[in-house]
Amino acid sequence: MSVPISQMWTVAAYVLGQKIRKRMRYPLVLMLEPLFRCNLACAGCGKIQYPAHILKKDLSVEQCLAAVDECGAPMVSIPGGEPLMYPEIGRLARELVARRKYVYLCTNAILLKQKLEEGVFTPSKYLSFSVHMDGLREEHDEAVCREGVFDQAVAGIREALRRGFRVTTNSTLFDGVNPVQMQMFFDEMMDLGVEGMMLSPGYSYSKAPDQEHFLRRQKTNEIFSKMLSNPKRRWKFNQSPLFLQFLMGKWDFECTPWGMPAYNIFGWQRPCYLLQEGYAPSFKALMETTRWERYGHRSGNEKCKDCMVHCGYEATAVNATFASWKGLTAAARATLTGRL
Amino acid sequence: MNTEPEASFEGWDPRPVDGATLAEVVEHAFDYRGDITLRLDDGRQIDGYLFNRDRDVAEPFVQVFERGEAAPLTIPYARIRAIRFTGKDTAAGNSYAAWLRLRQAAKAASGG
Repeated sequence: MSVPISQMWTVAAYVLGQKIRKRMRYPLVLMLEPLFRCNLACAGCGKIQYPAHILKKDLSVEQCLAAVDECGAPMVSIPGGEPLMYPEIGRLARELVARRKYVYLCTNAILLKQKLEEGVFTPSKYLSFSVHMDGLREEHDEAVCREGVFDQAVAGIREALRRGFRVTTNSTLFDGVNPVQMQMFFDEMMDLGVEGMMLSPGYSYSKAPDQEHFLRRQKTNEIFSKMLSNPKRRWKFNQSPLFLQFLMGKWDFECTPWGMPAYNIFGWQRPCYLLQEGYAPSFKALMETTRWERYGHRSGNEKCKDCMVHCGYEATAVNATFASWKGLTAAARATLTGRL
Repeated sequence: MNTEPEASFEGWDPRPVDGATLAEVVEHAFDYRGDITLRLDDGRQIDGYLFNRDRDVAEPFVQVFERGEAAPLTIPYARIRAIRFTGKDTAAGNSYAAWLRLRQAAKAASGG
């Protein structure tokens, strides 16, 4: 695993603090979407299908910071939309770093090299570019529905690393993914020099064009087991080892949708980053008035039945790490040995 | 792979809208990824994107970003007389199958 010690310590202290206060539901990562517009239209994405006047809207930096402060999570992920198209992304990143939030700026990296050359960002242990990479060149370009994007992303990654930035990758896996090719992809990303990789199965957004290629639970377990059962020491993953083991079928976790709450121009999204069942006016209202029992694998909700996505289960995995000796020792063993 | 065009509410003009029917139409409008037009009890028409609704409160309401306006409007259900699905459904007609066909056609055209 590749999460820096200072970040691990911050997260561990935060989670233990929640447990001492006996808070049953707490946020771990704020999913902050300052805009919905994107310079890609990926087949698996259900985030950008809006009228033009909605796509033109941005959250202000002040709205973003108020959400960050209200939520209180130690990590902030900035997806979207494409955050590098947000006019004030540099200022937002600086403000979050000043608040000592660990920021994952999730980007397709098409604009990364340009923004770095413009001096929009300053390297920090708190700031990581999380570059969307769904596989090797052909698989990635097919997933993002545009040829040439893989090469642009690689150029952006190289430039960011050359300038001393933290760089991770995030990959969404769909049905038909070839585990052997993914292993080759892991090698290539490690050769590039990224700090670590994040993996997640895709979610079947009702508004996504591609409804045919989302992984069901058993298939997810099979694919992740094939990919990760004998991992190379050099592969680094920037996520909870227990989450990866869950994807391999080694843990039976339940979703904690409040673990990664989402905030965007519409407000606080109920119940999670993926499902849109309404919006709450404040984080407090989200936590107190959402009927959480309606969601999760065991709820019987059809929309949650096959979901194993990181935004529902990564926080569960982190919580499980600190909930028992079994969790703690399993995470420690995986971290120290690289075995999953 | 399903290559049939998906059903869309684009152009739907249900009326009259009242009682249980209103709640049902609001749900469809909430799920719709295009603009709608609301007609209110005072005759005013609002064109915009309906992004939220809550009928589990004492006075059920919808929230709409009116086209060209920065702040959203909150409108009680009781004031709504009609909802028309007037804007383009941005989630319709861009299926994965359609993209694959375009991609194959582009490859064929470039000799790839």
